[in-house]
Amino acid sequence: MLAIKKPGQNKCSYALIPSSDASTELVGVEQLLTIMARVTVLLAMLRTVVELHSATIGPKERAFWSFQPLKPSRAPSVTNSTWAKTPVDRFILAKLESAGLTPAPPASRQDWIRRVAFDLTGLPPSPEDVAAFVKDPSPDAHEKYVDRLLSSPAYGERWAQHWLDVVRFAETEGFEYDRPVSGAWRFRDFVIRSFREDLPYDDFLTAQLAGDELAPQDREMQIAAGFHRVNPVRRNASNQDVSATRNEVLTERTDMIGAAFLGVTVGCARCHDHKFDPITQKDYYQMQAFLAATQENDIPCVGPDEHAAWKSRTETVNEEIARLKESLKAVTGEAEKRLREKLKETEARLPDPLPSLASIKNDPALLTPIHLLKRGDPERKEERVGMKGLSVLLPDGAKEMPPETPNPRTALARWMTDPRHPLTARVIANRIWQHHFGAGLVRTPNDFGANGDRPSHPELLDYLAGELIRGGWKLKRLHRLLVTSASYRQAVLNPGVPDAKARASDPDNRWLSHFNRRRLEAEELRDAMLAVSGMLDRRSEGESVLLPVDSDLVDELYKPTQWRVTEDRSLHYRRSIYLIAKRNLRLPFMQVFDQPMLQTSCPRRESSTHAPQALEMLNGRTANELANAFAARLKREAGADPRGQVERAYLLAVGRAPTPAERDLALEFLKRSPLKEFALATFSLNAFMYVE
Amino acid sequence: MWNDAAQHVRFLRTRREFIRDGFCGFGSIALAGMMREEQARAEAVNPLARKAPPRAAKAKSVIFLFMAGGPSHIETFDPKPLLDKLNGQPRPKEFGEARYQFVKKDAKLLGTRRTFKKHGQAGIEVSDLFPHTAACVDDLAIIRSCQGDRVVHSAAQYELFTGRIVPGFPSMGSWVTYGLGSENRSLPGYVVMPDPLGALEGGQPIYSNGFLPAVHQPTLFRAGQRPVLNLDLPEGVTMEQRRETVRLIRGLNEANPLPQDDEFSARMSAYDLAFKMQTEAPAVFDLSRESQETFKLYGVGREPTHDYGRRCLLARRLVETGVRFVCVVSGGGPGNKQWDAHGDIEENHLRMAAQTDQPVAGLLHDLKRRGLLDSTLVLWGGEFGRSPEAEGGKGRDHHNLGFTMWMAGGGIKGGQVVGATDEIGLRAVEDPHHFRDIHTTMLHQLGFDEDELTYPHLGRNERLTLLRGEVISQIV
Repeated sequence: MLAIKKPGQNKCSYALIPSSDASTELVGVEQLLTIMARVTVLLAMLRTVVELHSATIGPKERAFWSFQPLKPSRAPSVTNSTWAKTPVDRFILAKLESAGLTPAPPASRQDWIRRVAFDLTGLPPSPEDVAAFVKDPSPDAHEKYVDRLLSSPAYGERWAQHWLDVVRFAETEGFEYDRPVSGAWRFRDFVIRSFREDLPYDDFLTAQLAGDELAPQDREMQIAAGFHRVNPVRRNASNQDVSATRNEVLTERTDMIGAAFLGVTVGCARCHDHKFDPITQKDYYQMQAFLAATQENDIPCVGPDEHAAWKSRTETVNEEIARLKESLKAVTGEAEKRLREKLKETEARLPDPLPSLASIKNDPALLTPIHLLKRGDPERKEERVGMKGLSVLLPDGAKEMPPETPNPRTALARWMTDPRHPLTARVIANRIWQHHFGAGLVRTPNDFGANGDRPSHPELLDYLAGELIRGGWKLKRLHRLLVTSASYRQAVLNPGVPDAKARASDPDNRWLSHFNRRRLEAEELRDAMLAVSGMLDRRSEGESVLLPVDSDLVDELYKPTQWRVTEDRSLHYRRSIYLIAKRNLRLPFMQVFDQPMLQTSCPRRESSTHAPQALEMLNGRTANELANAFAARLKREAGADPRGQVERAYLLAVGRAPTPAERDLALEFLKRSPLKEFALATFSLNAFMYVE
Repeated sequence: MWNDAAQHVRFLRTRREFIRDGFCGFGSIALAGMMREEQARAEAVNPLARKAPPRAAKAKSVIFLFMAGGPSHIETFDPKPLLDKLNGQPRPKEFGEARYQFVKKDAKLLGTRRTFKKHGQAGIEVSDLFPHTAACVDDLAIIRSCQGDRVVHSAAQYELFTGRIVPGFPSMGSWVTYGLGSENRSLPGYVVMPDPLGALEGGQPIYSNGFLPAVHQPTLFRAGQRPVLNLDLPEGVTMEQRRETVRLIRGLNEANPLPQDDEFSARMSAYDLAFKMQTEAPAVFDLSRESQETFKLYGVGREPTHDYGRRCLLARRLVETGVRFVCVVSGGGPGNKQWDAHGDIEENHLRMAAQTDQPVAGLLHDLKRRGLLDSTLVLWGGEFGRSPEAEGGKGRDHHNLGFTMWMAGGGIKGGQVVGATDEIGLRAVEDPHHFRDIHTTMLHQLGFDEDELTYPHLGRNERLTLLRGEVISQIV
């Protein structure tokens, strides 16, 4: 690894750390080789930079792998003729064979069912499901179970979360005021429904980019276009920077579209031509021009009378607030304290925002003229541009559309979902792969450009992208193809490949000679604790839930009154996807287990391990409350006998009976300690927190 | 084989990632040669294990005394006699334009009512707002030419802490623990002590770990005796019981038939560490063993210095036990409870200075006499300064084009002034230093070039600074 410093004054003058492969532990001759490699890489980079800056988009730029059209690919032939179950397996096996590796034996049925249940639904399988599946003699037992999972409502909830991570979904605007975006949760529900109903991905994309244009009367399409509303928005008191704020929003939205749908970091081209990818600054602003007429549109979900009544109530309270604020200026000490209390109470009396949905519309009167901006500075405008897709993906001489073209985002969506467009299908196929196998075929799911990873199995990626399009962009079909494969059925441990050999030849398991173990994500972990303890409330969709949190955290909000705990306590046990996504207050439980920050796109989560997680699992409110519930359930279902309780706890929490050693330890513990503490300990079992 | 530039890939950490984390992106040849794999791996079991920086370091830890809301440079460290003379007049054209959040173009200049005197051997002018700090001036490098990009709180706070004007990026403290780990095994490596009066405009994202792994998140200390969340046992659970439960978790996880790996051992040591934190950390929070003389030094036990003094004293205790980065916030809640003196600069700054001056000086003094100042970099300042123009007659608006911060300790050469603003304090005209230079200088003292502390995120290797900063060579 090495850092190459770039000249000082450039925007985006990021350090680059180019290729080092496995050689981080070098000495002697290897050092020398590294230095040579360093020089080679430096030269290559300089060349890239120089070429990109001197040339426009030509055949050489178009030749980069991800900009190439999808190649029709057939599953390769392999030596081992019995292992493969699906075409996917032949692509995997061919690479394994050429690397001199063999696939791992299949995982046990208990491991597999737990794996596939968490992957597809984010919830553990019930002990009854496990027992039935383990005994199911039918040859298509796996396939049947997969179909059941895919048709369960939980599937949509699990997979929506992945998409919400990518589009940095949150229900508040962030920054200073962190104002709620009224009805933003409806967008979350749209995503859940889309997965559940297997909305074709091209329609899913189009609805989000242009639902309002395509079907202005269709509520669901308006909600889908709320995609453009879940971004952070800076609002300031006495904002004299209206045009700068508009610029920030347009920039953020453009970057998001590039990263989420196209897997390219278009944002780098805002200030100058992209240094590494063939995206010119003009390309960037031509993309942005598709959004030039887009304005916020909050659509009330109530009748006019109700609206008027709400408005008058709000105004009354607001006037009172203004009066109090005015009087505050004149007082100090105790009087001030009293007034502040009063102010707080009054603010809490403000009526809830009316049900509405956050959408967008085109407003030609407010159209922002899009100019090339010198170094991205909104005050240094250069030529004005119209709309166009990225040049590298269009034929030479493709014309830009004039700035006032009606329904611009529909045009953008059409271009992106044209089956000849190579990126859209590749990018989503790769995301699906990643969430099943732990890492993408391209390990940088938001960046298919020169700075991103190269695909480990390019033919497989193109096969999957092609399958997706051939299957009418249906994602469930793709899931089924992947999770019923032999590749997906492998065990975590491969006795056929000694550890040392695998480490030496494939330290990151790119060739998939075994399955990748993974820790449950924050939401999965909480949901699993809810499920196991019998507390999980499966009600679907609807307004978000606010849980009680430590008051010091609420006080860290600029407006602590924003955190109004959901009164109906039964709602506190809903799945984590229904908890409010508030930019300036994330739940400690979620935070500590690597929930993303809700500010920028997160294509892949961290999985860290540290002491505050242990503190959360030992002393945290969630863990202890649910441990009590779990203990109560064990007593209910297994009676007073500790043996039965331990047995039941293992079946519920990890999907298998305890081993004799485990049973003995637990029984010994229960002689002196309460059942609740044992229940708490099961939440910290590796077999519970990880998926094999 | 794939680019390191592309390493967003972090499921169960592979052996290589363990090693990479051990080296935090600066896995240079020299280090790779120096540190054997075994060693790196052992360290990686605890992701906060101490790590050596790539270069010789002068500082081991940082205390950031954050004056939230933006203290005025004109009332504190940057005397402007001409401004006093021009009091009540419009800004002369030759000083150029500035953009404010609230004050309008026709606002009149406002002189200060503070008086300045030369202090220390260096003879540096400091105002009468800070009599205690002024006595430490020979330890301070006062940078009078600071600049930031934004004139509103939230964006300026993000830039000061994370180098970006938008939320979502890792804060200084997270970068520092990512780079150096922690020397203390029973306390978090990065601690923020907010002002109990309330929140700041930027909210929690100011302090956040951004895209760095959650192990680098800040620990926000609450007011009171037990500042760390989840360090208290739940009601009805004894320490002895907790010990038993942790033992059971270990036993069951070892008896587990699953193949063991590094991550499993890391997880188990996290439980051990958590238990250790529960038993050992309370002693660090317990100030009762400090002497009366120390309390007096910090102004603990009397108003208006008690609260900030207590937190500064706690900061010293944390640094003493090896915590890497401590941020002690002065100001919180509605604007005038911060240094955000829109309404009346006198009232606000007299009050805020009275709360903090003695504690700050006490901290410097205490660190010094304990030999800790050499290895502790102390940084003082806000997200911007204040306008030379009056707002509403007696107040001052935000102002980002020229203001003062100071550094002390951690190898910083004190008794110096860096840069200068123009004659009315509007703009840094001599040797201007953007926040990025503050960041770069801080990292330099900790043993890093800014490019040696990077993390892959969305296709780039991000670092603390957006544009490349410059080490303020005069003071290192």
